[in-house]
Amino acid sequence: MGDVFMSLKEEITKAMQMLAEDERVIFLGQNVCYPGHVVYETLSGVPDEKKIELPVAEEMQMGISTGMAICGFVPVSIYPRIDFLVLAMNQLVNHLDKLHEMSQGQLQPKVIVRTMIGNTSPLHPGPQHSQRHVPALRLLLKHTKVYEIERAEDVLQTYEKALHQEGPVLVVEAAYR
Amino acid sequence: MRNLWSAAELIAFEEEIKQAFLDQQIRGPIHLSGGNENQLIALFKHISVTDYVLTTYRNHYHCLLKGMSPEVLKRHILEGRSMYLCDWDYGILSSAIVGGMLPIAVGLALGLHRRGSDDHVWVFCGDMAAETGAFHEATKYAGTRGLPITFVIEDNGLSTNTPTFEAWGLPRKADNPLVSLGLTSPYTIGCEYGADVKYYQYERTVPHTGAGQWVTFS
Repeated sequence: MGDVFMSLKEEITKAMQMLAEDERVIFLGQNVCYPGHVVYETLSGVPDEKKIELPVAEEMQMGISTGMAICGFVPVSIYPRIDFLVLAMNQLVNHLDKLHEMSQGQLQPKVIVRTMIGNTSPLHPGPQHSQRHVPALRLLLKHTKVYEIERAEDVLQTYEKALHQEGPVLVVEAAYR
Repeated sequence: MRNLWSAAELIAFEEEIKQAFLDQQIRGPIHLSGGNENQLIALFKHISVTDYVLTTYRNHYHCLLKGMSPEVLKRHILEGRSMYLCDWDYGILSSAIVGGMLPIAVGLALGLHRRGSDDHVWVFCGDMAAETGAFHEATKYAGTRGLPITFVIEDNGLSTNTPTFEAWGLPRKADNPLVSLGLTSPYTIGCEYGADVKYYQYERTVPHTGAGQWVTFS
């Protein structure tokens, strides 16, 4: 075989296709149905009826994702930059992460929150599009698993784990384009 | 059990909880209901047992009128969960965060809509929550998408003890004579996009939290 070069973007695209095969899964967020960000390209293998383009309303998006999960869907809730996820903290930290505890274990809404760290080359996007926040999120979240993907080799198994384990998951993808 | 509650019985239930709190039996915050019995009894005639009720930290009446048995409700309260009372056996979720259930309710309604379900979501919020961006977004999205959800604003004019409309620099909506006569809805946000927004105004007869007296826990 020799060296096989695996690209992060290609592996993530395959992982999204794998997720889409599960009938419960639905993709929602920004740049889901319209181009303009690499997110759109990674969903090239996902059927249109499984995608919902949402307006920019990060907090509402997280709440909608939680509500759909309560209804039996597995939303892949997409925030094209981790910097934008900060706007959804009340719904992520106070609600999605806590509903299992609040409902005494009756509910364990399964949302896969998918976000990315911004590229810093060839253009540096400045302080609002290149933050990492992962250590802080690990401290904030009690019942949500946080996975960071840095190597293409880890993509599929991380998303498989994210799909099959119970409860909410946050997946942070390293920069790619 | 459902809809068989009279105003006097609802008040008696809260009196019992108040006494339990004063007797140091509840190791968690409580937010008693009071003053809105008749409005809620009338409203819950439209809420079916299979519907979902997503509500606030002031939720005891909602739970009883939705059909939760008083014994079950009392157990939740005595165990300190009044402020975030969630019991999915009864289709009830509450959040202790102002406006917290609004987008979750929209998501639940979106899920039901996609499944072609006939079930309906009822989400309650106070007058301060109804002034937030969360309310604006939720009603706008639910309205344009035709989702099976009704927003119910419970206006007692207070957010904890802060006069909501004074804090915003607005006239109290209920002071509008057309609103107080029920001739117009004070909330055009969301309604203009087709959202179903119901509204009632009442005077709170209980403290924001607790039972009106300082309780010392031994």
